[in-house]
This record gives sequence, structure tokens and C-alpha cells, in this order.
Amino acid sequence: MKQDFTLEIHSDNNFSVLNRIVNILNRRRVRIKKLIAHEDEGDFRRGVAVVLLFTTADMIEKVKHQLEKLIEVEHAVYYEGSELYCELSSKHTEEIA
Amino acid sequence: MDVLLTKSKPTVDTEKSSNQPTNQISGSEVLLRCLVEEGVDTIFGYPGGAIMPVYDALYHYADKLTHILVRHEQGAIHAAQGFARVTGKAGVVFATSGPGATNLVTGLADALIDSTPVVCITGQVFAHLLGTDAFQETDVVNTTIPVTKWNIQVTEAKDIANAVAKAFYIANSGRPGPVLVDITKNAQNEMIAEADYHKCESIRTYKPTPVLQLSQVEAAAQLINNAKRPYILAGQGILLSGATEELKAFSEKTGIPVACTLLGLGGFPSDHPNYVGYLGMHGNYGPNLNTNECDVLIAIGMRFDDRVTGNVSKYAKQAKIIHIEIDKAEINKIVKTEVAVNADAKEALQILLEKCSKNRHQAWIDSFTRLNNIEYEKVIVKEFNPTGELTMGEVINHLSNFTKGEAIVITDVGQHQMVTSRYYKYKNPRTNVTSGGAGTMGFALPAAIGAKLGVPDKEVLAVIGDGGYQMTVQELGTIMQYQIPVKIVVLNNNFLGMVRQWQQLFHGKRYSFTEMQNPDFVKLAEAYGIPARKVEAREDLQGAIKEMLASKTPYFLEVVVGKEDNVFPMVPAGAGVSDVLLEEPKD
Repeated sequence: MKQDFTLEIHSDNNFSVLNRIVNILNRRRVRIKKLIAHEDEGDFRRGVAVVLLFTTADMIEKVKHQLEKLIEVEHAVYYEGSELYCELSSKHTEEIA
Repeated sequence: MDVLLTKSKPTVDTEKSSNQPTNQISGSEVLLRCLVEEGVDTIFGYPGGAIMPVYDALYHYADKLTHILVRHEQGAIHAAQGFARVTGKAGVVFATSGPGATNLVTGLADALIDSTPVVCITGQVFAHLLGTDAFQETDVVNTTIPVTKWNIQVTEAKDIANAVAKAFYIANSGRPGPVLVDITKNAQNEMIAEADYHKCESIRTYKPTPVLQLSQVEAAAQLINNAKRPYILAGQGILLSGATEELKAFSEKTGIPVACTLLGLGGFPSDHPNYVGYLGMHGNYGPNLNTNECDVLIAIGMRFDDRVTGNVSKYAKQAKIIHIEIDKAEINKIVKTEVAVNADAKEALQILLEKCSKNRHQAWIDSFTRLNNIEYEKVIVKEFNPTGELTMGEVINHLSNFTKGEAIVITDVGQHQMVTSRYYKYKNPRTNVTSGGAGTMGFALPAAIGAKLGVPDKEVLAVIGDGGYQMTVQELGTIMQYQIPVKIVVLNNNFLGMVRQWQQLFHGKRYSFTEMQNPDFVKLAEAYGIPARKVEAREDLQGAIKEMLASKTPYFLEVVVGKEDNVFPMVPAGAGVSDVLLEEPKD
């Protein structure tokens, strides 16, 4: 059964890294409801993408591993639901404000 | 190969004279020095405007780098793949921007799905022209993101060395794969200070080799030690890891039968008493049927591709599956595992060898033999001893016998590929080269070129169908130019045979655009200065094969085979491995 998941991806901030991340999701036809991405405040060479997805538990687990195969991605972690999306995205927004 | 061995002209010393200060070199020369430091000696390429500075610098590296001029960039990347598959070293490709780069896409996709290390260097327009739709400009990075393990665009000379170092590290480490480095023309021209080259040894965000968890291996060993009908499925991971000796030792100690996937062929000797055959859609009867009879399935370095599993809902449901695999994303991707060992195959097998008990499963192995004997009587006897037209199987059987299973055999895609996988008795690792996951027609001829250049002292046979041959036949020009002594065997049935087989079996024999009118292949080969012969009669076959194998030059042999012969056994699309057919259904 499909549900909301919040996926947090920490990666190097190279050109095309967002494209790479979204390609993985698109290839699996995972619905992206929201996405926020930004550089780390202290180090522009690193960044974070927080994505609100609508998919199954099985798919999010598989997608996490495929994202972690990307050379630039340090790690990806997901949480059930959307509450954490709002919390994480506002936390990151505050950091750069 | 004398022309090749003496290196192509010009033989100019690398300490070339120049007007620039001696401690300044161009980005192009940085690139070439990096390649030399990485142990590269052969490049497959095709020049063009956007990579011209690199080629200009290459002119002075003739004694260190051999460049093979192909006839199409797709030929270059398939040649690099063939080189990589037989040597274990990354194949290297040069191509220009725009169409030169996009012509690499098929090969990149092929290398990615088959885990082949390839490093492609593409030229690109000047950095200030990026995004302006300049002549021969394409967005190569975004085009090749889905078909590469990694790629990068370099717009300044100072970044070339680091990019190349990362490229080779990524291509060769963990699960190998293709990498592309796109270098703008200004970066190629830019002069920078010489500096020492440093190989890449780690990347912060990239963990190519998982840390083996002893608890996983111990859990696997416990299952294996208690198994009544254990079964090993060996994939290409055995070869990539260099684990053939460990696999043999493990199978011998535990008495467990071994079957190989298409890309795993050669990973376990075909004449070993524990070898039970090739598995998959056209694999042997025993390995396929007994997948659904085993109680513990040990999958090593394989990814449960649909050609192996058939209908996954009918695949090994009774078995506890142990999956030894370096790529975590492959574990639980297709089948549910009981014990996942996320590790390099060699490392895992070394520890499993210690933890597993000595055992024998002769009755279980005999069950494979009984099933394979049924296949032999119903399928193989007819294939090897036909009465009518020549069959692909008898050609491959003779090739296998005359080369004692020790040649490097490159196959293209289709019926001949399946027949070769079934009947060529591979004994050694890195002797079976084929396009597995992508099934790229046209792969074999250029891949054979790369393979021969990679291991020049081995016999290299390219076995190709008449359809796939014509997709990259222009590479006969490459063979001619460098006198590369590959032996080309085209099994000609005037059909796209595998598609025709499916049309016969599943589409009411409606042969929709699969019949091919072909040219005179012998005359075509001879036009390229390649000795050639055509065989239609059985009495001429063995003599022609011997003549071909005895030749010290490239040689082309066309064998006319049955037009509507089919490859059996076959697991039909949508069927389970237990539904494998030994012959055409009566209805």
C-alpha cells in the first residue's frame, strides 16, 4: 500500500547531482510530492535534498539503496509520513536564513 | 600483428620540442600522462573537432599509447568492453563531442548493466559555448547519467588529473562500470604547471567494498551445513572478484553442484564433476528444473535477472536463498533472501570455506545428470548429428572440440549466442565475452577486436549472426588496418533468428520483418583484405574450421545454417523455470 515517506539525502554538491537523484526516482515511477534542496551552510561542496514521496515501503527501501549507489551520495535515510518533511525542510530553511 | 606491435606512426619521442616553458603542459598532455600513470596502453577512438587538441598531443605519445582508429564510436566502446572483459583492466575510449559522444550511449548502457569497467573521454565545445547549441554540442553529462556509473564535465585544465584519477578508481572498484569524462576544448588547450599524478584511493561518499559481516557468513554456513539439496548459482561476480579458485574449493569441500549464468560461464570449469550446466531461458534442463527442487540456493555474484528466473512468482519458492553480492541494491531486489551476505565474492567464499563442513551430495548431483541426459537425448543428439542442413550446434561443437574449450569466444546476440553458451565448453575465466543484460546486437565484432588486443597470444573467435554482423560490419576496416587476427564465424540463416523463433512459437508464425536479404559476405570480407570462405555442406565444415584456426591472419568463415531452426530448451516468456520446454509445443 502506498503512503507518504520523507527521504533525506546527504551528498556532495556537484553539478547534476539533483538530476541524478531525481532520475532514480523517475525511473521507478515514484511520485515526488515535494522537494527541497540546499547547500550546507558551512560547506557549499556538500548538500542535502529532502523529498516527500508517495510510494510503498518495499519501493522506498529499494530506492534508498539505489540512491546510495550514486557516487556523490553519502547516505540516504527515510521516515514514514510527511511530518518530518515539514520539520526537516523548515530546519534547513532556518539554517540558511 | 606486426604492424600493431611496432606501434603506429609517428614514432616520436615523448620529450617533444615545444615553444612553451618546460614546466608548463597542456590539459591534453595532462590527460595523456594520467592515462599512462593509470597503466593504459591501448585506446580505442575516433577523432573530431572537439577532441583535436588531445589527438594532437597523442601524436607525440605513440611509444606509450597505442591508439586504434575504429570506424564508428560504438565500435570503439564495444572494443574497449572486449578489452576490459578479457584483461580485467578498464578499456579506454576517445570520442569527440556531439554525435561522437552520443554514439557511445549504447555501449555505455551495455557496460553498465554488465558491470564492465570502461573510461570514456569525450571532447566538448569551449566552455563559454556550453548551452548555446554550438556546433556538435550536446549535453553529454545529462545524456549519459542514466547509463554510466559516474560522469563529470571538466572545464579547466587544473581539474583534469583529479577527474581522470576518480574515473579510473570508480570504474575499477566495487561493482565495476563505465565512466565518462567530458573535457571542454579550452581545458584541453589550457597550459598549466606540471605536477605529479596521484591515483585516487578513496572518495568520501563512495564505499565500493562492503565490510563483510561475519554473522551473515555464519548464518549462511549454518544453512549450507544443514542443507539436503544445496545448489550454487555462479554469476559474473565470481569472475570480477577473481574467485574462481575459491568457488572450486568451496564446491569440492561441500559437494555442492554449480550452475553458471550467461556471464558467469567460465567461472567454474565445465569439465568439473560438480558442474551441472548453464542456467536461464535457454539453459540446460537440469539446472533449470532443479532450481525448484533445491532446499538451499546459494547465489554468488549474480542478480536474478529475468532471463534466469523466468516468472519470479514461480521461482525457487521452496528454497532458502543465500545471496552473496557486493552490490547491496541487488539484494532483495528481485527475490527475497533468507541470508544476505553483502560482500565481495572472494572474501565471502574464503570465510565460508572455513565455516562449512565437508560433505557430499552425490545423489543430488546425479539428479542433474539424469535430467541433462534427457536433454541430451531429446535435443543435443539431433543438434550435433543432424541429417539435413548444418546446425548452429554442430558448428559450435566442432569449434569447442578443436580449441579444447580454451579460446576466447565473443558472441553477438541471438540464437547463435544461446547455442554457443550451451555448447562451447568453457574451462577458463574471462574467456566468454557476450552482451548479457542489454543484449546489444553488433557487440561481437568490435569486442573481438578489443579482446584480441588485450590478450594477443590467445585464440579469439567471434561467433555472430547475420543480423548482428551487419550492425557493426564497418569494423572490418579496423581489423584490416591493424591486421588483427580475429577469427570471425557468421552463422547465416538469413533471418533475425531469435525474433523469428518467438514469432513462430508465440505469434502464429507471422514472420514480421525478420527475413534478411544479405550481401555476399565472403566478397565483403575480401574487399577488406580478409581471407574468407563460405561453407554450406557438412563435409566441408571441419576442414574449413581447421583452416580458419590455422590462419595467422584475420579470417572470415560464413556457415549457412538451417533457416528455421529453433533453440531448445526454452523457458517461455511468463513461464517458470519448471515449465522449460525441450521441444516445440505440439499445439
